[in-house]
Amino acid sequence: MAMQGGTALQEKVSRMLSRKQKKPVLKPNKPLVLKDEVANRKIKKGEATCVTEMSMMMACWKQNNFVDTLCSNEMQSFYKCVEKAQVCCCHSQCTGNPCSRLIAHTPLSQPPVVLN
Amino acid sequence: MSASITGLLKPWTPRLFLVRWSRYNPYYLEPEPRKEVYHIPETELTPEQKEERELKSVRPIKAATNSVTSSVFNDPVLSKFVNMMMKDGDKIIAKGIITQTLENMKRKQVEKYHKAPEGKKAEIECNPYAIFHQALENCKPVIGLASIQKGGKFYQVPIPLTDNRRRFLAMKWMITECRDNKHRLTLMYEKLSQELLAAFSKEGNVVKRKHELHKMAESNRAYAHYRWW
Repeated sequence: MAMQGGTALQEKVSRMLSRKQKKPVLKPNKPLVLKDEVANRKIKKGEATCVTEMSMMMACWKQNNFVDTLCSNEMQSFYKCVEKAQVCCCHSQCTGNPCSRLIAHTPLSQPPVVLN
Repeated sequence: MSASITGLLKPWTPRLFLVRWSRYNPYYLEPEPRKEVYHIPETELTPEQKEERELKSVRPIKAATNSVTSSVFNDPVLSKFVNMMMKDGDKIIAKGIITQTLENMKRKQVEKYHKAPEGKKAEIECNPYAIFHQALENCKPVIGLASIQKGGKFYQVPIPLTDNRRRFLAMKWMITECRDNKHRLTLMYEKLSQELLAAFSKEGNVVKRKHELHKMAESNRAYAHYRWW
């Protein structure tokens, strides 16, 4: 069924391109072939990560005159947050990332699956 | 991708001229210098480790660099510090300075230990490696500043630093401090041992520099939202 639909589409396209009947409707400057990669998109700027942990740590520093031993809890939570943010940076869970292009590429670069 | 590379790879024969810093084919695996990995008995290996071992028996392995050894004295942090101290590729001199530093620290600490009263003896740390590591930990900054442009002006924005960057900054500050702020007649190892002992007890110029960075970051905390990562 996909093949029948495919040939019908090919005929329609060739009719639109031909000069036999009327003026051609389509005048493509590039060959009408699907590429196997997604075009570049403008990377949306994200937000600053771990700002709350950072501000808590800085408030603690201000209170304790920048002595590190008294602020160890806040510092630990800040480090954990930073680690999580680094892990999230290139994971598929974070949307709108430069890595989302990579996610689209992997199935596109595979050969097409023929459904019977 | 790996399929094409293995296709190009000729059957591996050991050669005389396999130089470490030449570009290895990605097919080559990294060497494992740690002894503990090889002492695990067959029964206690996880399936991933078993797979890795089988892979290693088939694939070629890169030559190990001079700096990695399987000896108990191999310390990656100390090796990095020696490399940073090295000038013009003279590792012998740099390593010599570090060994003299460690010996000097040990001597000072042992002297303090013998002079201390009985109650305080247990608190004095005599292991120079432990002192070195703790001093470096005390010198590592928690957040750094990055110069970010917004609306035509540059702002110093507080950013979280990676572990490598923090370690690098601590070592760099230590070395520059010892090179610049010493008396003409003091030797490097003497000054370095003084600074390391001061950093171990959270005093001294390097720790002060770390605190100044923290203070700058704290005063610029309003600009933290200029980050986008």
